[in-house]
Amino acid sequence: MLKLLKQEHSLLTENILKTFTQNRIVTLLDFLEEDVDKLSTLSKLSLPQVLEIRNHILAKYSAPLLNGTSLYVNRLTCKQFIRTGIDSLDEILSNGIPVGFITEICGLAGCGKSQLCMQLAINCVNNTSSVLYIDTKGDFSAVRIQKNLESCGFSHKEMAITMLQIKIIHIWTMDDLLKLFAELKNGILFIENLSLIIIDSLPSLMFQHFGDDNKIGLKFLNNFVNYARHLSKTLQIGIVCVNIQTRWIDQDLVELEDDNQATSTRETIYTEKLNRCMGKYWQNIPNIVLLLEKYQNSNENVFTINVSLIKYNNPHISKRCQLEVGMFGIK
Amino acid sequence: MNSTFKIYNATEVWQIETSLPSIPSFSQSLDKVLGNDGVQLGSIVELLGLPGTGKTQLCLQLCTSIQIPKVLGGLYSEALYVDTNTNFTISRFKEILFSSLSKCQQLMEASILINEEDALRKLHYVNAIGLEKFCAFMHQLPNLINTRPNIKLIVIDSIAFPFKDGITLKQRTGLLYRLMADLNKLAVEKQIAIVITNEMTTRIGLSSGAIVGALGDAWSHRCNKRLLLSAPDPLANVRLAVLLKSNNSPETVGKFQITQEGIRDID
Repeated sequence: MLKLLKQEHSLLTENILKTFTQNRIVTLLDFLEEDVDKLSTLSKLSLPQVLEIRNHILAKYSAPLLNGTSLYVNRLTCKQFIRTGIDSLDEILSNGIPVGFITEICGLAGCGKSQLCMQLAINCVNNTSSVLYIDTKGDFSAVRIQKNLESCGFSHKEMAITMLQIKIIHIWTMDDLLKLFAELKNGILFIENLSLIIIDSLPSLMFQHFGDDNKIGLKFLNNFVNYARHLSKTLQIGIVCVNIQTRWIDQDLVELEDDNQATSTRETIYTEKLNRCMGKYWQNIPNIVLLLEKYQNSNENVFTINVSLIKYNNPHISKRCQLEVGMFGIK
Repeated sequence: MNSTFKIYNATEVWQIETSLPSIPSFSQSLDKVLGNDGVQLGSIVELLGLPGTGKTQLCLQLCTSIQIPKVLGGLYSEALYVDTNTNFTISRFKEILFSSLSKCQQLMEASILINEEDALRKLHYVNAIGLEKFCAFMHQLPNLINTRPNIKLIVIDSIAFPFKDGITLKQRTGLLYRLMADLNKLAVEKQIAIVITNEMTTRIGLSSGAIVGALGDAWSHRCNKRLLLSAPDPLANVRLAVLLKSNNSPETVGKFQITQEGIRDID
């Protein structure tokens, strides 16, 4: 909570603040909540003067009012998308990864989530901006990136330029992640031309709080979401989070009607349910979810992943595309 | 105020990754599957397989491989074996160790004598049976590594065994992820290779086949390299190794055999 300071208004003096503190009026909120008459008698200021201070504080700290036109102009002038450089993916994303929102990549183990993230890192750097890769389980492989660039026919110099723009940071706890985001927000940590933050993966931090009786994990997640949204709006960057999928097996007893004998036979049917992790709170947080599904392929060196897109601000839109993963990266 | 976080760029990471040595498995086919010519320092590898497919044998082999002298391009370091299941037998380890060392001596034309007692001293063995003992040990592992900086390989055989009983599923996932975060941090910062063995379990009704690694789907995300060992024909001494998941090498299949001397290629 912000403290009430002398700098807040010219009418406030040391003496007034001292009397306020003696009467337990320390923060801005204390001041605003206090009865105006009482404040007037305490500070020996006239009623209009106290009201003037009050209005001044309210005007300064309240959320700003924006009209529709300026919002629209903002939208037109700001960067809205970060192109992924993969044509079919850009198409289903309708232009690229949205700025100002959280995008999620989700899928089963080993389906190519990290591969897609590394490819995104490479492709976004190609547009002369830098990418921050937050690695929480040691998945980032620079050798893989280099091999990928090499097979795309980059020269050594070009490879070095691209790789210099990809920044990697190892984070092992949710606490550290929040500290990092706070530093980014306060400008203590500054990365030039940042266009994308990739978090690979969020559940390996969140699952550390799994099974606790307290809700501390949820608190961390909530803080993270707030920071992430704020950063992506103010710095105009895209935020990509990797989430994982788990499978549940349900045993259903289904009654099968047999037409001829009119007797019903019972059969056990196992249904596989796919579940996006990280709890109910998270389910509607990302604006766009990319679900990855790996396909068994006849060719040994290339495998195909199916990507389906779910948009949470418009659940009727669902689009699909196919990507190929090989030594050359993702196409 | 300066940032408390160290940010690397990809070229720095590339330099680290390419300069880190690997622990050979004594089978070229297997090394090829693993990529980086074996188990690279700083990485975590999960070994999966049914009983009798060679998980423990491979672990013992790696514990000896780490002792290869520097003249032969080895690491000449020490290994820590965390046994949660009494899988470890010292007589088998001695067998593999001494045959590997004598092979090294042959290659060096016996220019340096390797003391067998010293070689045995380079294995640190911990018997951590039961969940409490295991977690307590894992908690003070960083201290142990600080006092014994020569340890470059940590083997946990097996990770699933302590979690078989007495813990709810949710708590198990939480605990495992916390343990793995600490281990991963240790691996990256101190450049230690970590090998974890895991068992197989049956899940009826899965689309991808009924036999999967233990500890559930959430766990299968955690390790970035998963190697599945299998014995297709129980009588023939042929083992297959499939890379199920990897962050930097293609997913391929390799062959090896288990001999009296340890893990070897099939001629």
